Amino acid sequence: MEIYQLLPKTNCKICGESTCMAFAVALLGRKKNISECTPILEGDFKKQKEKLEALLLPSAGAEETGMIVHPEICTGCGNCVVACPVDVANDPKGAAIGCAPTNDKVIFRVVDGKVVASNIKECRRFGKNRVLCYACIDPCPTGAIEFV
Amino acid sequence: MATCPGCALLCDDIEVIVENNRIKETKNACRRGAARIKGCINRLEPKIAQKPSDIESAVRKAAEILGNAKSPMLFGWSNSTCEAQVKGIQLAKKLGAIIDDTSSFCQGLLIEKLLQKKFRTCTLEEVRNKADVLVYWGSDAQDSEPRHLSRFSYFPRGESRQRGYEEDRIAIAIDVRESNTAKICKGHFYRIQPKGDREFILALIDALSGKVPAYEPKKILELASILKKAEYGVIFAGIGLTYSIKDDFDILVALADKIPNFHIMPMVGHYNMRGFNENLFKETGFVNRVKFDGKVVHDNRYSIVEALREKSIDALLVAGSDPLSSLPRSLVRHLASIRVICIDPCVTMTSKIATVTIPCAVSGVESGGTAVRMDGKIIELSKIIESDYPTDEELLSRLMGAL
Amino acid sequence: MGIDVGKFLKNPEYEIKITTYRDIFQVEAQECDRFGKDYEKLSACIVMSKNDMAKMGLKPGDRVKVTNNNGSIVVEVRESKRDEPGGVAFMVNSPWSNVLVSEESGGRGIPEFKNITAKISLVKEETTTLESLMEYFRKLQ
Repeated sequence: MEIYQLLPKTNCKICGESTCMAFAVALLGRKKNISECTPILEGDFKKQKEKLEALLLPSAGAEETGMIVHPEICTGCGNCVVACPVDVANDPKGAAIGCAPTNDKVIFRVVDGKVVASNIKECRRFGKNRVLCYACIDPCPTGAIEFV
Repeated sequence: MATCPGCALLCDDIEVIVENNRIKETKNACRRGAARIKGCINRLEPKIAQKPSDIESAVRKAAEILGNAKSPMLFGWSNSTCEAQVKGIQLAKKLGAIIDDTSSFCQGLLIEKLLQKKFRTCTLEEVRNKADVLVYWGSDAQDSEPRHLSRFSYFPRGESRQRGYEEDRIAIAIDVRESNTAKICKGHFYRIQPKGDREFILALIDALSGKVPAYEPKKILELASILKKAEYGVIFAGIGLTYSIKDDFDILVALADKIPNFHIMPMVGHYNMRGFNENLFKETGFVNRVKFDGKVVHDNRYSIVEALREKSIDALLVAGSDPLSSLPRSLVRHLASIRVICIDPCVTMTSKIATVTIPCAVSGVESGGTAVRMDGKIIELSKIIESDYPTDEELLSRLMGAL
Repeated sequence: MGIDVGKFLKNPEYEIKITTYRDIFQVEAQECDRFGKDYEKLSACIVMSKNDMAKMGLKPGDRVKVTNNNGSIVVEVRESKRDEPGGVAFMVNSPWSNVLVSEESGGRGIPEFKNITAKISLVKEETTTLESLMEYFRKLQ
């Protein structure tokens, strides 16, 4: 629904879907790409497009982990970077002791004052031995990370 | 690696990607720090009487104003390097001026007691390696010093705290408001009324002395037992606490005496406020509110607030601060009737009414130097990009030369 | 009765206690452009508990006039995200909240930034702009 709200809502069908709502569903399911909605690429929708990208980008592995990051409400405090057990294990001399990550194996990094998630497949909510981990959600004061 | 001048944590693990002498991206800096490093969109321009001028003429005019003033004051300093602060103190001496900084209406009181060794304190590295009980009191570190909990206090694993926050540490918040920090301290948030800190401290002292406290006995006894059991405790004292007990500060020292494993650390927002306090203390034995009058005189009358209220100054040099924005309007309206000189990288409310404005480089971004972290550690600042603007230190030297 | 008395009366006024705080998003906006719209939007507001808002008949987004002996401002009402018991409202530290802070400091050099008493009432006016706050100082010059 959040995705739909950001689309032009004109049902122009340029993307090949019959309605904007259908396109939103396709976007969430990774069956379509934002760039297929040509009206949103034009000037007037610049802000919306950025928001959409922010909404969709972190869920690059979200089908399985369901992780969504909301950079617009993130304070960049880095609590998640340090609290994530995967980051602790993968970067004992950096993230684990509160310092900047020293390698690329961590899940959370702070870029331009906002959190960015990568290596999502490493998340403990992912894969065969998945567990319901809350280590990045509980330390976040603003609710910038959620799992759907 | 660069140092972030965003707040007094002075995070020195920042990566900055620079392209064509412009900051393209920051890594590891929080939202506040990233904004500081990226800079403001409205740079200050040299002006005299609000008319465009050049830096050289503006400096000469500033020297003329300060030299002719009967009672000049130099104020600001919490966003200046130690080197600039020392120059500022020299300038005040030369002028026989009053010097004060933003700590005067912030954490000065607490830092003064700390430098007088009235209570135990510790370093942030000690907090990371040893602390097991953390008390955020009248301090919302999450919003003011955003990486405090992640870099040093609650979340990281330390030498004697290998299991980190999950098992080895307890974070407590005492506040009027359920702040972002209080939210993280979930099960250990103690809400107090505005000005309720004194009552809370007295109740806590009672509980620690084996008496039943008069105020919320169950909660206070529970908190007292956590504090007693602490192996290495720290009270992070924010301005919420300082403001509230400013008239009766010794009760905090009395509380510290009851919990021998505890340390008190003042939470400092501006990146080098503690630096100014230490530099002036070294020179005069006081952290702020000083007049150089042949000798050193320290008096509350020499605080920016009282000086403005009593209209006892006739010229004000403001370095890296915006009193028009950060002080009560009823007070700063007096600024409109005296001559104000503004040294700042950016346009501020104060600069808009100033007689002279002189732009400077953003310290810690366009120029290096040193600063003092909130726990007293000296940290090297970085010059991340080149700039044509002179540093505030250089401007103060030129100003002194022009006198 | 058939007559809506409320229509002819001024909106009711309530006493309120205000304490100031810091918000990282407002600080960020200030770092970038202290004369910008974002800074104004994040500063010219008052955060209140659900209880207090219900008691005073206020909704999020309403504009209120906050007045005391020191001055008067119009700000937007926001509902606290937390479960606040009420009795205290919150404003970020800014030139807006500073209109309401007294210059009295008991001679000790620290004003009561965190212990403000004021009257609050619903109004239709637009929120106070930074430009109008600046205008106040320019007129004094």
